[in-house]
Amino acid sequence: MKRNLKFWTRYNWEFTGLMLAIAAVLSVVAVFGAEGLDLRTFATVVPYFLCIGAALCILLSNTGTHTLYMPLLMSMGETRRNVLLGFHYFRALTIAVTVALCAVIWLVVPGEVSSQGLRSIPTILCVLIIASAMGSIMGTVFSKWKWLGTIIIIVICGFAGGTVGFAGATMADGLAVAKTMELAAYLVTMPWWLAAAVPVSLALDVAFHWMLLRRQEVKL
Amino acid sequence: MSLHCENIVKTYSGKNVLHDVTLDLQPGKIYGLIGRNGAGKTTLLSILSAQNPATKGSVTLDGDQVWENRKSLSKICFSRELNANAESGIAAMKAKEYLRIASTYYEDWDKTLEERLVKLFDMNPKKKLGKMNKGMLSMITIVVALCSKAPYTFLDEPVAGLDVVAREQFYKLLLEEYSSSGRTFVVSTHIIEEAADVLEEVIILHEGKILLTADTQAFVDSAVHVSGKIEEVDAAVTGLEVHHTETVGRSKGVTVFLKPGQKVDESRDVSVQPVSLQRAFVALCGEEETRQ
Repeated sequence: MKRNLKFWTRYNWEFTGLMLAIAAVLSVVAVFGAEGLDLRTFATVVPYFLCIGAALCILLSNTGTHTLYMPLLMSMGETRRNVLLGFHYFRALTIAVTVALCAVIWLVVPGEVSSQGLRSIPTILCVLIIASAMGSIMGTVFSKWKWLGTIIIIVICGFAGGTVGFAGATMADGLAVAKTMELAAYLVTMPWWLAAAVPVSLALDVAFHWMLLRRQEVKL
Repeated sequence: MSLHCENIVKTYSGKNVLHDVTLDLQPGKIYGLIGRNGAGKTTLLSILSAQNPATKGSVTLDGDQVWENRKSLSKICFSRELNANAESGIAAMKAKEYLRIASTYYEDWDKTLEERLVKLFDMNPKKKLGKMNKGMLSMITIVVALCSKAPYTFLDEPVAGLDVVAREQFYKLLLEEYSSSGRTFVVSTHIIEEAADVLEEVIILHEGKILLTADTQAFVDSAVHVSGKIEEVDAAVTGLEVHHTETVGRSKGVTVFLKPGQKVDESRDVSVQPVSLQRAFVALCGEEETRQ
């Protein structure tokens, strides 16, 4: 298990780099659209871009993980159970790193937006967990049923493009605290169904993959 | 310590690819797994290493189930043939990344040997697997197999695409590793003649069944080719196990497998010649030929 953790931890750091790059792109888009940039407000908004970057990375990493890394690790003598656990560990670590980075930024730059951000963490956590579980199922669907996967990828790319556009559009009037807080306010109160969806999505993900992994044949 | 499989059956879409295969691999031997295309060699090695699930049957190492058993799996390395075409996920992976992952997962990975082999095969570790030719991909699988130091190591067509010099190097390295470590190797290959001198035991798989498991030399020694006029050959081999009959006009050639104490009646007007491992294999698994 130690070796398995070593592999997935390293894989996580590679993805953290990608996640930071996506957050940086979104931030640059926001800065270009902003007039009279307030660095303090800008800093408190960056964690949201980080969360979007993490969600996109997790969604996009699934296909590669299911088609490449899972068979590869099994071909190197890892058990199916450990491969599945390792993949969940990787996702948990990515989410933990994202949330930790957000919390650190909000703690370092205090203010109204940061305070609201810190209160949003439970919701952000739930959204990321659900996105990772659903993304994992979609990743497998993509690798097994390519036509359906292509549609999903188009939707994800549309979502990614839309997010970049949204970042530019919402910041066009400047990085107003009020505007940011208005958007972030949706995350402060966590609806009960979102909390309930976390264990359901995780159970679905594990059951779906275990059912397939048990019978999976290694092909490289 | 022995790796044992019992009554392995593998079915794909209702068609049996392996039929009740029972095999015992003893430690410290080099086995050759030979069979025609589609005989089930890769499927058998995949099941022995728990990379594919069997439809029926079990695989044990020292009495412990291999399936989902990390302890047993850490003693087995199946360095499979890489197929890095454009659609394959590993095509975009660099050789050094592939080797790094292998070194992470194999507990006794020999880094010094890895460096030596990369240099010996003149490999470019920064090259993507998808950009490598068949021979270079074979070299990668050889590096993984040898450096893994797994007590049971399986190589699937390790010399595919290698030139004659590289093939020689591989057999030399295999023997070197075998004599220094006493590991068990199972080598599946089509290039039988070259491998014959290296293989201690031969396992012949034909249409999903184990046709024979024997000491290579004893197997080769037990086979002879008898040729001559049809009636003379028929008389000389009466009561013997005859395979692969070739008839050309009034002449005939057969391969005979002799059991202890049996011999060809050489008082008849026939020519009796020893056969190679490849010819003995063809005699067992090939089809009969008749030419006018």
